[in-house]
Parts: sequence; structure tokens; C-alpha cells
Amino acid sequence: MIKFIFKGILRDKSRSLLPIIVISLGVFLTVLLSGWIGGVFSDMIDVNANFITGHVKILTRAYAENKNQLPNDLALLDVEELITNLNSDYPDMEWVKRINFGGLLDVPDENGETRAQGPAVGRAIDLLSPDSKEADRMNIVNSIVKGSIPAKQGEALISDDFAEKFSVNIGDQVTVFGSTMNGSMMFKTFIVSGTISFGTALLDRGAIIIDISDAQLALDMYDGASEILGYFNEGSYIDAKADSVKASFNTKYSSVDDEFSPQMFKLRDQEGLDQYMTLADSMSGIMIFIFILAMSVVLWNTGLLGGLRRYSEFGIRLALGERKGHIFKTTIYEAIIIGFIGSVVGTALGLGAAYYLQENGIDFSSIMENVTMMFPPVYRAVVSPDLFYIGFFPGLIAMTLGNALAGYAIYKRKTAQLFKELEV
Amino acid sequence: MDIIKINDLVKRFPVGKGHFTAINKINLSFGKGEFAGFVGPSGSGKTTLLNIIGSLDTPSEGSTIVMDKSISELSHKQAARLRNMYIGFIFQTYNLLPVYTVFENVEFALLLQNISASERKKAVMEALEWVGLTDKVKSKPNMLSGGESQRVAIARSMVKKPEIVLADEPTANLDSKNSHHILQTMKTLNKELNVTFIFATHDEKVMKYLNRIITLEDGKVVSDKENKS
Repeated sequence: MIKFIFKGILRDKSRSLLPIIVISLGVFLTVLLSGWIGGVFSDMIDVNANFITGHVKILTRAYAENKNQLPNDLALLDVEELITNLNSDYPDMEWVKRINFGGLLDVPDENGETRAQGPAVGRAIDLLSPDSKEADRMNIVNSIVKGSIPAKQGEALISDDFAEKFSVNIGDQVTVFGSTMNGSMMFKTFIVSGTISFGTALLDRGAIIIDISDAQLALDMYDGASEILGYFNEGSYIDAKADSVKASFNTKYSSVDDEFSPQMFKLRDQEGLDQYMTLADSMSGIMIFIFILAMSVVLWNTGLLGGLRRYSEFGIRLALGERKGHIFKTTIYEAIIIGFIGSVVGTALGLGAAYYLQENGIDFSSIMENVTMMFPPVYRAVVSPDLFYIGFFPGLIAMTLGNALAGYAIYKRKTAQLFKELEV
Repeated sequence: MDIIKINDLVKRFPVGKGHFTAINKINLSFGKGEFAGFVGPSGSGKTTLLNIIGSLDTPSEGSTIVMDKSISELSHKQAARLRNMYIGFIFQTYNLLPVYTVFENVEFALLLQNISASERKKAVMEALEWVGLTDKVKSKPNMLSGGESQRVAIARSMVKKPEIVLADEPTANLDSKNSHHILQTMKTLNKELNVTFIFATHDEKVMKYLNRIITLEDGKVVSDKENKS
């Protein structure tokens, strides 16, 4: 009988091809959308982690309370020793130091007089160590518009907007005015090695990026840093792990009585990301649920129509002595076979498309030029294990339920009444 | 010995708040090997009577005994088994399954009986030989003429060697030549296999072949006589 059913499915295109196309399409869209939504939210979290929050971040207690003012007078000291301890305590994490500073960026003319000046937001990261991953983490090489990444101390990358506005060329000098960690005036001149655009106003406006050794020297922050960021070697943020690391670090190193003692914050503690991630989880869940529900209704309807279309065939089979229960059962078998094929095809196509978008992404930077929130310019899907079943089971179940409903109508009708309706 | 016994059979169908009596106190019996038919105008109860004999419907009153089984007392499963084992149906519109070949259409009835593949093949080929269609085993129904389609339907009804074949207007969609061919085939099978054929028809051509003609009118038997034409 199974062979008989298979032959019917293979030969009757309207019984197989249309439902398989509908299921494949529905499952494909579910998988792709799930991967895309997951990827977009993950990208937004990653970009925040890479640029601002880390997976965990260490600041002094006093700095944390005033962090919007970039108060380097309250920065961490003895950071090398602290990083050595961190590497020992948490060997499956990477720790990096950064200095954030504000000031004025001055562009001199040929006589050394000020030609142009603008507010600057400086980021000092480890650009020069051969094993540093900071440039990759902040996607600096790909974000360079002109020139190249600093190759030695005294070089800097500046915002391409700034460079365009004040006609700054590669090799020109710029001077940063600010204050040192100890409150003295700071003047430091850099050679522009390149211009950079991250595609986000928050990062691009007045940006200057230098090596951390230059910043330590200029700001009198020997063995100091504004913050130490920690990244899980897994590459993505894991909230439970961050909780555990934060709890053990703060117990061991932090003291409420010492405002200069280090304090660890996890990603969710910072920049309103807790609410964002809660919202993201809910939103993606709701969107996927609504989409799956809509797809299920379509597939259910397809199954129902398929069943109704075959009323005449069922009538003949009843007359030949097949039991109603057996007809119902074979209808379900068919639905399972068709649902399985459609779900496999849809899942494969969805995974393929999600993988493509994971590798290539879609660049939205042109429409986010003036957005001052921390959004990644390129959004990518993410292929996660749940994509293997998130569309597969709804596809299979919706098809089976649709056919079950059609079959149930047959099963519950009196044979004589059914036989009349079947127009045999 | 009678294989069908109908006693005081009444069949009513609900119509609005009342009911319509399709069969009204009919008493009949059929022996093995009969070639009989119900004739009468539309609405006289021919098809209803065939459906009750075929266990597709149940009496409102009275009894119908087929192969010693009371139709009104059969469960769904028992009724299906009775149809599967003892009763073949032939319909006006052939009702072949369009996606299956001639062979598979005829074979289908045997699939429900758990018969081995080799036995099924033998039985199907034999049935197709009776109707002269062994050269069409791989054809699909849409490749057959009306006459050929009805011959496949006959083979499908005969393949399980039933005791009774119920044919509802089997020639209604056929021309005169094909009608005679079909009827001749059924008559031959009736004689050779001693199968009981019961028709519902108002086709004069069919009536000429019947050995017994039962005329129905308004759900009642108005005549029941041997046909010597």
C-alpha cells in the first residue's frame, strides 16, 4: 500500500508538487527570516561588544559613575598586572585595554598656525602589537577609506568626514589638544596615516584612532587604561558565563570602600543593552511565531484543499471496500511524506540563503549615515542550530494537520451520506 | 439458495422537518448467479436499493441480508469487509483512479486483501483477459476510450471474484456498440463465474440482457418478472 501511495504522490503533480512548493516556500521563508532576525540582533550586540562594552568590561568604580565624561583621572592603573591576573583567572577569555579621551583636533597650515579645528573623540587601542586582534575586532582595515592603518607610534587614523571637511591629506599632521590623566594640558601631534569611516555617525563624528602606547604617553597614563574589555573565546556573548565571570571578579578584586578598585560589568549591564536584548528576544520570538502561524494556516489550507479535491477518489476506495479509517490513515501517511519532502527542501534552501547572507550580509550604511545609535552598517544572517528545525517541524505538522482535518471530515461522515457527496 | 434477502425494507431520508420515503416496504430475494436489474424512472429508488445491498447505506426499517450478514447490524469495518470480499461495484462514470495504470486500478481492490504480489499479478491479468484488455495494462485511464474504461471498471469489480456485482447505469455514457460489448462481457462472466449481477438502469439495451426485471415506482416494486427476450 505504501508503494501505491508513493506512486500516487509521484504521478499526481497537483497532489504533490503544489503542496511541496507551498511547504518549501513557507519553510524557506521561516528559516531565512529566523536566521536573518537572529543575525541582525546578534550583529547589533556584537558591534556594541566590539566597540564599546566588550563581553565584560572593567572600570574603576569612580570612572564607572562618571564614564560619560571620559574621566581619565579616574582610570585604571597597574593594568599589566591586572591583565596578567585576568589571563590566569580566566584563561578562556581575551583581555584588552583601551583608552577613550576627548579633546580638540587641530589642523595646522603650512606655517604651523591653526587652519581648522574641531571636537575629537579619541580611541586608543592596541594597533601595533603583532598578535593584537583589536584592528580586526573593530573592522578597521575594511573601514579605511584612504591610506593605511598606523604602522608605528605617532601615526593616527582620523574620521574621513573630518578629513574631507578640513582638507586633511594622508601624511599631514594633526594635533590633539586635551588634558592628561593628572589634569595638565596635553598637546600631541600625529601624522595622518589614513582616514576611516565606520558608516555610523556615533563612531565617525570627530573620531581619531591611535595606538594605546601613544595615548599612554600623551595622557601620562603609564600602565594605565580607561577600561579593560574581556571577550569570550567562543566569539559570541554568553550571558550566563558573563554573570559567572563578573561575580567571581568583583568578589575577588572589587571593594565598595575603594573608589579606585576595579569593577566588572557584563554587556547586559551597559548602554541599555539589557532592555534591548530582552526586547530582541521577545521581538524575534513574536515575529517568528506570527510567521510560523501564518505559514501553518496556508499549509493547513493546502492540505485541506488537497483532501477535498480527492473526494471522488475516496468514494471509489470506499466502494472497493477500503475502510474509512484506512483512507484516513493513508491520507496522513501521504501528508507526512509530502510534508517531509517539502520541509527538507525548504530547510535546505533556507539554510543556503541564510548562509549566503551570513557570509555577505546587506550593507545599510548609506541609509544610516546620520544615525547616532550604535548600529552595524552591514547586517548578516546567522546560521544557528535551531534553523535546522524551526521551519521543518511547522512545515511537517501544518501539512499533516491540514490533511488530518480533511480526512477527519471523511472519517466522521456516515458512509451513505459521504458516498452521495463524493459524487461517485 | 438466496444470497440476498430483503424483507419489508423501508428507507427514508430527512427532508427539512419531515422525510422522504425512497424505499417503501420492499420484499425481494436474489439467488446466486442471477442477472437481474431494477428499472424505473429517476427517483424510483433504484440507486438507494443498490446502495443498501452494497452496504453503503442502511435500512430505516426492515432487513437486508447479504451473504448471511444483516446490513443494519454491520459496523463500518464489517461493512467495508463485506464490500471488499463479496461485492463489486460498476459506476456510470467508470471512476477509475486517473494517476494509476489500468493494471494498478484493477490491482487496487486486491491490495486491501493482503494478497501476495505474484498472486495479485495473476488475478489482475486474468481479470483483464476476461474483458479483453491485456494489451492496455500500462495505459492510464485518459488514454482509454469510454468502452475500454468501463471494461477496466468491470475487471476491477471482478478481480476479487465477488459473489455480487452491483452496476449503476453502467451504459449511460456509452454508445450502442460499446454498450452491447460491455453487456456481453458481463453476461459471459455471469455465466462462466456464476456471479450475481444486479443493475440499476432505465436503458432499454440493458433490459434486453437481463434475466429478471424488477420495476420500481415511488419506492415500491410494481412488477418482478423473468425476461425471456
